[in-house]
Amino acid sequence: MTYRAEAQALDAELLQCVGRRAVPNFNDLALRIFAHQLRYNEPYAKYAASLGVTLDAMPPDWERIPPVPAAAFKEAALCTFDPACAELVFETSGTTQGSSGQHYMETADLYDAALIAGFGDAMLSDVNEPLRYLLLVPNPAQRPHSSLGYMMRKVADVFGDGQEQWYLEGDDLRVDRFIRDCERAERSGVPLCIAGTAFAFVNLLDELRRRGVADLRLPSGSRIMETGGFKGRTRVVERAELYAQIASLFALPPDRIIAEYGMTELTSQYYDDVNRTKTAPPWLRPRVVGPDGKTLPTGDVGALVHVDLANRSSCVAIQTEDLGVRTSDGGIMLIGREQGAELRGCSLDAEQLRTLAAR
Amino acid sequence: MTALEHIPAEKIVRALADAAERWSDADFPPRVRITDRIAERTGYSVPVVEYALDRLFFPIRRANLESTIRSELGSLEILDDFTQRTGRPDAWAAPCGNVCIISSRTTIGVALVPAVFALCAKNDVLVKDREDALVAAFFETLTEELGAFRAAARSAAWSSQDDAAHALDAFDVVAAFGDDQTLVAIRNSLNAGARFIGYGSRASAGYVARESLSSRENALVVARGAARDLVLYETEGCLSLHVLFVEKDGALSPAQFGAILAACIEEANVEFPIGRRSAADAASISAQRNLGAFRAAADKGAVFAADSADYAVIVDQPPAEPPQFLPRTVGIVAVEQPRDAVRYVRQHGLLLEGFALSHGRTDAVQAVIAAGAVRLTQFGELQHPPLEGGHGGRPRIAEFVRWIDRTL
Repeated sequence: MTYRAEAQALDAELLQCVGRRAVPNFNDLALRIFAHQLRYNEPYAKYAASLGVTLDAMPPDWERIPPVPAAAFKEAALCTFDPACAELVFETSGTTQGSSGQHYMETADLYDAALIAGFGDAMLSDVNEPLRYLLLVPNPAQRPHSSLGYMMRKVADVFGDGQEQWYLEGDDLRVDRFIRDCERAERSGVPLCIAGTAFAFVNLLDELRRRGVADLRLPSGSRIMETGGFKGRTRVVERAELYAQIASLFALPPDRIIAEYGMTELTSQYYDDVNRTKTAPPWLRPRVVGPDGKTLPTGDVGALVHVDLANRSSCVAIQTEDLGVRTSDGGIMLIGREQGAELRGCSLDAEQLRTLAAR
Repeated sequence: MTALEHIPAEKIVRALADAAERWSDADFPPRVRITDRIAERTGYSVPVVEYALDRLFFPIRRANLESTIRSELGSLEILDDFTQRTGRPDAWAAPCGNVCIISSRTTIGVALVPAVFALCAKNDVLVKDREDALVAAFFETLTEELGAFRAAARSAAWSSQDDAAHALDAFDVVAAFGDDQTLVAIRNSLNAGARFIGYGSRASAGYVARESLSSRENALVVARGAARDLVLYETEGCLSLHVLFVEKDGALSPAQFGAILAACIEEANVEFPIGRRSAADAASISAQRNLGAFRAAADKGAVFAADSADYAVIVDQPPAEPPQFLPRTVGIVAVEQPRDAVRYVRQHGLLLEGFALSHGRTDAVQAVIAAGAVRLTQFGELQHPPLEGGHGGRPRIAEFVRWIDRTL
């Protein structure tokens, strides 16, 4: 079978799974995608071979697929095809070294299908009418390689009322316009979906506080999607505290604030369920691993590995430095990295040195 | 007037040295009682804590204290009264008054040596103690040696948030260890006339010259020392080895040296067992190890690490990458010449404390001085600054005295 035929067959199968919201043969499909990547993704294949995994020595199941470290996307073009032919190119953040990597995707179809299905199920299961999207995320017109910007552009196109607004211009937040649009929506009764990074929400709250705005009541049916965390930022606010402030400002019940967890190196996303557990769509499975790479028991804290079948044209398994625990219902809970915890040394502040060095 | 002002310096020094000698005995009951508490607080294994206590108290000896004082002040007697000085006015190194030492983010007993010298200078000293109360316990012993220390040497525990609120404006000298933000906050809460001694964030490095890579035996000596510099105190100290520069074109390559170093780290891990390690550190070390393996698979460098991520040696770390600052983890940056190391240090904005050198080659010495290091030493000694030397590029006692000249 040629590369093209193999890739198209896998994509078609994956699109069917996404459409049906079910992957009955996850293990088999994961191993076939991995084998496909061993054949056509040379850097990944070399890495796997260095760990003793080859087409002739395949892992017995999806949990043994060697995950590529997320930072490896900064080292090589991790894709099964000529990256010059990529339909989508997303840039990873450069928070640790100032350099960024690229996630090349051969087709947009799979990415679009996965994100629309995931967002629709997690965010809009009770919605019967288009929402208006107010977006505190990078505008793809300015940042064409932001996966988050692309995602929200697509979501607004598919699920929105056609009047979405973007408020992030460079590093500036257009707060005047945001307030005006919230008030306008309140008057017209059009429910809103406000999507933004945690850091953007913190900035927004700070600015509103500075202006004495304590109440921006949203129309019934409105909701918030928070994502992105505080990577590389100096001001960190506890998530529970942030949500409480958001709920108070917008007069929203807490269950209308939903956290999305994703990363540029993945095609699919996790969303919070009612228990604040991150749940994955059926084509994405998490593992929590120890330093030896072995899966930890439920409840133990370890590094997160994501096996995302929709990463067909890149790497199916990605290891992160994010910490989490596996919950009994199959989801994950993220664990903070103890920022601000004791850092010792005769004057050494490791976090500060890392920050300095990253400048 | 301070509590020690009328006590001869010689008597103070003797009492301090006697107390330290008692604490140098691993079976000294107060030390036995506190060892587990320190291990609990720091997460270090008990052998590491024992080693740290030995290293802390053994050098505090009368001869060492007196030679340091003489070297910095000219004589011991100058702490007691006006003393004649050749070619200079008579002078008295009087106490400054109230000294506060804040060391909230330190390894083991870092505040103790400055406290000892502040007491030698007859100041009233308050040390911000840790949960393990090591300083308080030592001060108890001190009081047994000389009753006047009860009023002169005090310790207390308070949180970082309370640093500013702890009446810091009442002190004449404040010595503080911490990050830049903490130091600025502390400095801003002092009286305008108060003396501030800040020990900010620092890193340390090592340089292996090609002369030391002429044979496996030579390299082994360096690697053993480097391993010790790396593993002690879980690479958290300002004098821990954070990045290692290894010259190319030696008989042994940087990768071969990395392999030798890894073997030495495994040996050092036996002598200094790994303590409590957070899941975050374990995840970060394994991520670095895996990234190193990814690069190695692409024929870029090598990585030597345990499956358990107990340690990691990353060879041929790209110069664009900063040090890892992770426990028992070090990147080897292959360099052509010492100037490459200086460039790396500047590129990453590293503020240096110590620099270990495998060879005293002039260009290497000049380079590490240019890089900003304040302590040059051999491998294996990076974590053992001599009491008689400086600390962070500063003197030991001179900043705790107020010079009074007399030309009557």
